[in-house]
Amino acid sequence: MTDATSPISMAKAPAGWLGRLEGSWSWIALGLIGLLLPLLDDSYFGVIAQRAYIYWILSAGLNLVVGYAGQIAIGWVAMLTLGAYATAALAAGRVGGVEWHPYLALIAGGAMGAVFGVIVGLPALRLRTFYFAMTTLGFATIVTQVALAWKDVTGGGVGTPGPVFPWPFEPGWGFYYFCFILAALATWITANIGSSRYGRALVAIRDAEVAAEASGIAKPKLLILIFLLAGGLGGIAGGLFSSLQSYITPDAFTFEMSVLFFIGILIGGRGSILGPALGTIILTVLPEFAAPLVQWSTFLYAALLLVIVLVIPGGIADLLDYRSRRALTQHREIAPRPELLSRVLGAKGEPSAIRLTGIALHFGGVRAIDGLDLEIRSGEVHGLIGPNGSGKTTTLNVISGYYRPNTGTMKLNSADLPFDKPQARANYRIARTFQTPRLVGAASVLENVMIGGTVRGHGTFAESMLSLPRHHRDEKQLKDAAMQALATVGLEQLAPVRADRLQHSELRFMEIARALMLRPAFLLLDEPAAGLSAEEIRRLGALIKAISREGTGVLLVEHHADLIFDICDRVTVLNLGKTLAAGTPDEIRSHREVVSAYLGA
Amino acid sequence: MLGSIVSYGLAVGAVYALIGITYNVMFSASRVFSFTAGMLGMLGGVLGALFINKLGMNAVLAFVLVMAAGAAFGVVTEILTVRPVLKSIEQHLYVLSTLAFALMVQQVTAIEWGTEAQPFPVLFPIDPNSALGLIDQKFWLPVLACVVTIVGLELLYRRTLIGRAFLAIAEDSYAARALGLPETRLRLASYAIAGVIGALAGFTGAQMLLAYFGNQAILNFYGFVPVALGGMGSNRGAVIGGIALGLFQQAANFLVGGIFASVAVFAVFIVVLLLRPEGLAGAATARRV
Amino acid sequence: MPTSARDPLLTVNGLSAGYGKIGVLRDIDLAVRTGEVVALLGPNGAGKSTLLKAISGLLPRQGSIRFAGQDISGAGPGDTVRAGLVHVVEGHRVFTQLSVIDNVMLAGYGLPRDERAVQVEEALAFFPDIAAKRHDRAGTLSGGQQQMLAVAQGLVRRPRLLMLDEPSAGLSPVLVDRVLAAVARLREGGTAVLLVEQLIDKALAAADRVYALARGSIVLEASTGEDDLPNRLERAYFGQEARAPLAS
Repeated sequence: MTDATSPISMAKAPAGWLGRLEGSWSWIALGLIGLLLPLLDDSYFGVIAQRAYIYWILSAGLNLVVGYAGQIAIGWVAMLTLGAYATAALAAGRVGGVEWHPYLALIAGGAMGAVFGVIVGLPALRLRTFYFAMTTLGFATIVTQVALAWKDVTGGGVGTPGPVFPWPFEPGWGFYYFCFILAALATWITANIGSSRYGRALVAIRDAEVAAEASGIAKPKLLILIFLLAGGLGGIAGGLFSSLQSYITPDAFTFEMSVLFFIGILIGGRGSILGPALGTIILTVLPEFAAPLVQWSTFLYAALLLVIVLVIPGGIADLLDYRSRRALTQHREIAPRPELLSRVLGAKGEPSAIRLTGIALHFGGVRAIDGLDLEIRSGEVHGLIGPNGSGKTTTLNVISGYYRPNTGTMKLNSADLPFDKPQARANYRIARTFQTPRLVGAASVLENVMIGGTVRGHGTFAESMLSLPRHHRDEKQLKDAAMQALATVGLEQLAPVRADRLQHSELRFMEIARALMLRPAFLLLDEPAAGLSAEEIRRLGALIKAISREGTGVLLVEHHADLIFDICDRVTVLNLGKTLAAGTPDEIRSHREVVSAYLGA
Repeated sequence: MLGSIVSYGLAVGAVYALIGITYNVMFSASRVFSFTAGMLGMLGGVLGALFINKLGMNAVLAFVLVMAAGAAFGVVTEILTVRPVLKSIEQHLYVLSTLAFALMVQQVTAIEWGTEAQPFPVLFPIDPNSALGLIDQKFWLPVLACVVTIVGLELLYRRTLIGRAFLAIAEDSYAARALGLPETRLRLASYAIAGVIGALAGFTGAQMLLAYFGNQAILNFYGFVPVALGGMGSNRGAVIGGIALGLFQQAANFLVGGIFASVAVFAVFIVVLLLRPEGLAGAATARRV
Repeated sequence: MPTSARDPLLTVNGLSAGYGKIGVLRDIDLAVRTGEVVALLGPNGAGKSTLLKAISGLLPRQGSIRFAGQDISGAGPGDTVRAGLVHVVEGHRVFTQLSVIDNVMLAGYGLPRDERAVQVEEALAFFPDIAAKRHDRAGTLSGGQQQMLAVAQGLVRRPRLLMLDEPSAGLSPVLVDRVLAAVARLREGGTAVLLVEQLIDKALAAADRVYALARGSIVLEASTGEDDLPNRLERAYFGQEARAPLAS
């Protein structure tokens, strides 16, 4: 029994799905096996294990690129090649005549990988999926060809020896522990990123890019950071690889190897760390135990990839995820608690207003908006209605920064609101929902809502990577705020549930919770009542009205006339991109022209 | 020297153009870019050498069988790797399913046929000293194939109803479906046609490129460049892009050597794409919000 | 099994449909008799287009649909077209890259060549303006002309029931009348028409019966001759008149 003043119970805030060191037992087991393997004193197993660690170091980084960010970087073996040759050439003194100390050479290899990781990754910001995949392939081919041609540095087709690390990481079990430690480190930092707001932001970009922008997530900056990290890890893996192989030639870095890393991640499942780790280990170790299959290994991996894509796109992680198969209660009711809004939205700000003046927007020959004036004031619900094609959603898209009008101005109080910058809206505390709910299906409801608060975090990428205190403070605050938002819209029971298991109406309320995370001064709702039952619409209306009474200015684009007339303070009717009428609901209702246009007589 | 650049450039450019058209035909039918275009080209050469050299068939019969095999592989691609994925919301899966299938075929080829590039037989017994023998057939065969394909596709699209049905589906598959057009069957036919075109590219180009499993990766990339530069779905763009690419590559080979030629091609590719992601002739697509 | 003159040409029972998780239509019952013009009215977002798509098989649906004595509940658009039920979708979506005559010919895809030629000419005869432009690219036509082309496409198969989704959208009043005159001619010729329309007055003038759809359910069914229809419709749209209790 809670009342408006008692705190929400936070004792049972559930853990998320993404990137946690899920199944800590599995990691402990893997760690123990790794630590104790040398006791077997079998150098053959040792070499296989070292190879697995090295491949995993690269794959851990690639996992963030492919599994989290969803970028299909098929040619990532290029990072291994670059790191390997950089380390080997520097350590052997082939560059500038000076022999670098192996550790420094390794760091240089990592740096090389990081730089080229960004270079290869940049096209992802502009190109379609397939195009980007092709450019990474092309890049990988180029790197191999350069390795063949640049004989002075790389030894050409003949190859070059890899570095030998000194004590305590000398070849043999010393180097084994070096690889083990680095692999553990790679796991730790990528898992930290995965379970941080950066990891959630990546997945948001992957699955719900438009919603990510509306939450203020800047895709370019984040992707560059990820490519930097992944490239760096790949480069270091390359340096270690050159030492393990003790001699590298260009044909050691094949396309098949690249595909192998890729398949390991997909078999493991996107958005997981453990899955890809297991996948990589399996793919590395398997050929050793099935000698006759070695020749067919790539074929079998490709076949496995095909099966995964067609049958279990979620990979091992999905298979292991028995929690997502637990039944949910059938007849669930959404019971919002508007009384909690004051905590969620924070203090009322100064009254402000968004003003559109003379906005016009043409698409080809069609006048989507033809001279529109509109004002959204704090504390008011402003309804925007009109027939199909009247420009309602287009107007909302202009305000939220997705479309640039041909003429007109848009101001927040006296300052200009920039057009064409949807991710800047979060800074202005302008939040929105979408006509069709945009969500990350594979993440929990809680994580989806936390995505809405991404820009509220203070910790840097490095702090999250190293699990420093400010990162943890951020996470706690975000989690608390998200639980409060969910309680406000009446969905806190569903917080740990995978979002794609929710009913449509629940998703609509989830989007509102996500928008509330920005503590919005203005809330833009795009047909939030579509698909809701009459009772749900009533509750939605009460919630929206309560939000406006807390000081937020609400723009409600809707078809449902009853909802509009019930809760709006002002209504603007659009027809063919122009204002047909504007006023209070009563004025509009009796306005003959409106009724005709709307009903089409 | 110039003659060499031009003849090699046009010929290999014609092969790239045909692979680009293969990509385009599959794309127009399904809005999907498939990794199997290069595979089809590779198979055209390998299967041709297999039938003629190893199995002793005559060239005409082998040609017919290779074309049939191309169609068959096209059909399998559609049924196995494209159709199941079209229904899913996760659009990126088609990249992986077609890649997986193409890789499987490549591996089987590498294992059964071998990883060495093997010679492809001379198809027409033409006396090199005669008038017809002025230009080596390995140069004019691909160019001829390219011309025949373009003319054939034009006739198909403009003169037959099924061709116009293909154009309809490429423009608006929803309206086509509502009209009652058999969308699935037409898509299957498109993939079969794409298979034939790809195999044709490989068969006629193999005297130059040899019967080599590694051609798959080469043709995948260099056959895609004309599509990226010329605009998705634009066959005209693919032809111009392919020929230009072929000439540029040969010229670069001559002037700066093989490795840097590849780097040059790649650099041009990236720069053009970054400046105009939709290609030089394509149309920018608006985003659905 | 032959239908008697009294059995409706199209019978829809308990139809539910939506987009993915979004349920739009709930338990719709509807009938259209041979040679009858039925108007389907309702505010935006009510589900009118969804209903037509569900009937023609463009959307998955639950419930039963019988047409001309056949059960077409599981049929796709190709089958329904062949059965004589043709759906002209909203937005005059013609193939702009193809010529007018090609557009109409495609509507007859699968018919024997001679039959197709005859029926294409018949369809074009309904719209002489369009017929005069037969070799022009459809992209050069105005919106209104494209709409007429789309209706012409619908006529090629000599449908027994033609479903038109907002044919007046974006058209000038003159062209709207042209389209509705074609509907009247169809009715005279024995073709039934199910017409989704925004313009209530025009729809009531052209139709024999009317259904009103709001919030995914049928809220009114009446003959167009009945009293006080416009007011009753308005009230039905805003939820104050109910044919059956609204679900809550």
